Amino acid sequence: MVEAVLPAGWLDNSYRSVCPVWLDRCVTLCVWGVAAAVTAVFVCIVGDLVWHGIGQVSWSFIVDLPRDAGRAGGIGPMIVSTGLILTVCLAVSVPVGLGTAVLLAEFSSDHRLFGVLVRRSLDVLAGVPSIVFGLFGSAFFCVYLRMGYSILAGGLTLACMVLPILIRSVEAGIRSVPEEYRLGAAALGLTRGRAVWHLLLPAASPGVIVGLVLGIGRAIAETAALIFTSGYVTRMPESLLDSGRSLSIHIYDLSMNVAGGDANAYATALVLMVCLLVINWVASVVADGCLCRRLIRV
Amino acid sequence: MAKQFWCVGWLLVFMAANGGCGGESSEAIGKLVVTGSSTVAPLVAEIAKRFEQHYPHVRIDVQTGGSSRGISDVRRGLADVGMVSRAITSDEADLYGYLIALDGVCVIVHRDNPVRELTDKQIIDIYTGAITNWRAVSGRDTPIVVVNKAEGRSTLEVFLKHFRLASDRIKASVIIGDNQQGIKTVAGNPAAIGYVSIGAAQYEAEHAASIKILPMGGVAGTVENVSSGLFPLVRPLNLITNDEPIELARQFIEFACSDSVRDLVMEQYFVALSR
Repeated sequence: MVEAVLPAGWLDNSYRSVCPVWLDRCVTLCVWGVAAAVTAVFVCIVGDLVWHGIGQVSWSFIVDLPRDAGRAGGIGPMIVSTGLILTVCLAVSVPVGLGTAVLLAEFSSDHRLFGVLVRRSLDVLAGVPSIVFGLFGSAFFCVYLRMGYSILAGGLTLACMVLPILIRSVEAGIRSVPEEYRLGAAALGLTRGRAVWHLLLPAASPGVIVGLVLGIGRAIAETAALIFTSGYVTRMPESLLDSGRSLSIHIYDLSMNVAGGDANAYATALVLMVCLLVINWVASVVADGCLCRRLIRV
Repeated sequence: MAKQFWCVGWLLVFMAANGGCGGESSEAIGKLVVTGSSTVAPLVAEIAKRFEQHYPHVRIDVQTGGSSRGISDVRRGLADVGMVSRAITSDEADLYGYLIALDGVCVIVHRDNPVRELTDKQIIDIYTGAITNWRAVSGRDTPIVVVNKAEGRSTLEVFLKHFRLASDRIKASVIIGDNQQGIKTVAGNPAAIGYVSIGAAQYEAEHAASIKILPMGGVAGTVENVSSGLFPLVRPLNLITNDEPIELARQFIEFACSDSVRDLVMEQYFVALSR
């Protein structure tokens, strides 16, 4: 629509005069260079982990109990604890997060005090250092609610930490759904609730997936918030009220606190990274599958 | 999908409920929470593992977070036993302390650093900023990178006490937390000087980390010299309780102080007590 107002050939002439070919090439080169640099950082980290860690990783390393403060033996209990902590975290944060995001995007206007207040507090929470969440979780869940050092307390603390990221990305996803969808739903006589459930959430699945991936990434990499909540115990957890050491805390302890623990720290980091990739893949497949399938069914 | 979600939800509720019951019944047969020093935690975790093997119905949860946390948790009743990696001070005289092992603190430099020995005076001058170049202590002509421990760390307190320094007089270039971080910082910087736990330093120096342990007052920094009492910078590793320990806590502390964990103490590169 803008082109119609401008004289024909505008793009060719003025663009060329402002931006000579060499500058164009330079910019292209810079963009590629930056992209390559970012990829190189990732490849370096992964390469370093694989190089130092792959030698120690074996089936027995994955299922065994740790021995000699983690220098020998495996990481079986840590993998189980990490899985349980993440399950608790997601079981709480996903329903609450989706609900709040829907409320913010669909049921509260941009200028209402309530919406502004919730959004501001979420933005502040997203920037709070994780150790603050750890101390809060320790004081509230462990001491006040008497959960003690437990996987439950750790998962709930992580849920508090992940919620802002999750809510904000799901909200952005829902807002990016074209207005026509809502109008169409209204024209068909769908209630707002049904429109959200059957149409908007499925259509916003990219935002949901981004939120999940970022949230899971932050949760699984967390040490500071977990060391005072889910704790340091390397026993195989028997219930959610047992203390259990997460993989990230195990890596931290081995590399910072145990002389000669570096080899197994590398191997654990490698396992953690593979877990993260697999969980992210599963989360996006599940979210995409169960949201998009519903969209088609409607 | 919704059905599956509910299944997961119920499973969680069930597990939590199950855990609740488990927690109560395990109290009857004994559960002990131990928190405190991150240096002592790996050792006590290994001791606890062995104790659990002897008494299969006992659960000992070892948590970490630092000596100060150990003391405050024990005082507030959040933990049954605390771990403290320094001497008990006069403020803490109300607590019951039990010595389980010793640990030396030694000064380390990079392996390529030509400096062979530093006097106490030189170390004090380096840490207070009076000497800022290695040339002044017959080293290379490079500025000294002073690696200090974070406030509240027991190693810092032991170091300050030995050299009669006040914390605010120290001019540090790098502040670090745990032991291994200190070793890695010094190993990665030829101009750095730091102080860490002897056992860990000795292990790393023998296993290809680029660090060198400096002798202190002419005494080489080795686990043997700490054990024989020759080495001057020594700190005790203590277990503490708020009240006189009874039943399980008493049993565990007696076990941790006994000869049956001597090998574990040495495996974690600490100094076992000579009894």
